[in-house]
Amino acid sequence: MNAIETHDLTRYYGTLCAVNRLTLSVDREIFALLGPNGSGKTTMVLMLTTLLLPTSGSATVSGHDIVRSGQQVRRTLSYVPQDMAVDIKLTGRENALLFARLYGVLNPKDRVDEVLAVMQLTGRADDLVRTYSGGMRRRLELAQALVHEPEVLFLDEPTLGLDVAARATIWEHITALKKDGMTIFITTHYMDEADRFCNRVGIITKGTLLALDAPSALKAHMGNDVITARIDGEFRDPAVDGVTLFSYANNEASYLAENGREALPLLADAFIKSGIRVRSLALREPTLDDVFLHTVGKSEEPVGFDQTKFRTMLRRRK
Amino acid sequence: MKRVVWYIERDFLRWVRGKVNVFSSLVMPAAWLIFVGLALPIRFTDNYLDFITPGILVMTMLSAGLSGGTLLMFDKILGFFNKFLALPSPREDILFGKILFTSLRGLIQATIILVIAVLIGAKIYTPLQYGLTYLILLLFGILLSAFSTTLVLYLEDHDSYAAVNTMISMPLFFTSSALMPYSVMPDWLRIVASLNPLSFAIDAIRAADTGAMPVMQIGELGALCVIVTGISVYVFRRVTV
Repeated sequence: MNAIETHDLTRYYGTLCAVNRLTLSVDREIFALLGPNGSGKTTMVLMLTTLLLPTSGSATVSGHDIVRSGQQVRRTLSYVPQDMAVDIKLTGRENALLFARLYGVLNPKDRVDEVLAVMQLTGRADDLVRTYSGGMRRRLELAQALVHEPEVLFLDEPTLGLDVAARATIWEHITALKKDGMTIFITTHYMDEADRFCNRVGIITKGTLLALDAPSALKAHMGNDVITARIDGEFRDPAVDGVTLFSYANNEASYLAENGREALPLLADAFIKSGIRVRSLALREPTLDDVFLHTVGKSEEPVGFDQTKFRTMLRRRK
Repeated sequence: MKRVVWYIERDFLRWVRGKVNVFSSLVMPAAWLIFVGLALPIRFTDNYLDFITPGILVMTMLSAGLSGGTLLMFDKILGFFNKFLALPSPREDILFGKILFTSLRGLIQATIILVIAVLIGAKIYTPLQYGLTYLILLLFGILLSAFSTTLVLYLEDHDSYAAVNTMISMPLFFTSSALMPYSVMPDWLRIVASLNPLSFAIDAIRAADTGAMPVMQIGELGALCVIVTGISVYVFRRVTV
């Protein structure tokens, strides 16, 4: 039995499809759902935490059905929403104690001491949360979520708005929890974090799961090298064989090339011939960012990059 | 039941640590009591303060009860509500916590208003009469806070709740028997006032003040409480975001 199983899970808001027939299983790993804003990540988490009923399809958390056995599901999971909801007029200890008591934990006071120590908050436990930094508030939320030793932990954008050091600390804690056998389901925008810390990622756009694998496998699957060109002024794709443009934004064009080393001079020549001023060319291995842009760009033509449309548009401007 | 107490403790600590809002909610009823109760030139009674005090007490409970909705709205906006809903504890505990906290807070505020009334010359009643007054106020508080917390589940943001709040509280107060007896009301107001739940509570307190036992009114208020709270529990159990 996997910790999270979904089968054709679907949710409509009126006629808008927020999550579209999503089938997924997650178990004892750090799983990240990646997607642009409004892609259905949060809707997915809300359904799995029983806060929202699916329109159709089914899902289980720790073997309990999310529709029929809501209470058992809620007993096995913890949910940290993206809002940083900790009471600033209460102390860190009071915040954690409230949740320990509401979960019906045995010896709530001892358990709170424990989780506060794990989250390195013992020294400030009796200060009002008002005086806490963003990173400390996040850690306090994690402490609240851990008081009842959940099997599955849902984190909606856990590092949103935190500085680099605070993010690193949060990920240290998340990684440690996974080592203890917990299943961790995360939504995030930060590709680099997903790449470094998550065992598997799913890329979701407009409610549809487009890719699902380990970050390394997704990158390997892209296979090719990535060439990025910084362009000065107007840009038009010079169209070189064996090189495909997959994204253009902020004067930076990204190409996929079968053989990067050989494509580099060809692309440089092509740019010069078409009179495009290139500031720099770089050859690198694909990152999860590239995988994301490639996957999302392909599916979402009106919003993502469409070569043909782009060319027609430029031709018209001449 | 224990869980309800933890929810109440949370709201209580946040309230008393708020400093300003402990007093701010008392300003309005105290002002009515002093500036209207003492100053209005009224002919139908020689002690308007005694007449208006039950109305002001119920008004205090009215704004206290509606503040239950405000509390839950902020929990909802700030993400606390989602966290509470994801807990295994029964969801109606959240509701009972808010109802009891706001009703008890209302009784504390009503007590202060009562003390001010007595200090500026209102009549002192027997312990039994005060007991009945508190019972009526408690029932009325439960009714209003159950209604307002449940209403918030259907509203999107704080602005719309604030609008509903103003839309409800002022008309309810002015169309009740708080400011004048039925005998001096125009006919149209008399009908509206006799159907207004605020008047049920005010009339019941006035009846108790004359030494009567307002069994009927307490029964009506109690029945309303049971119905509204029952609906609220049903809604809270099925709530999704």
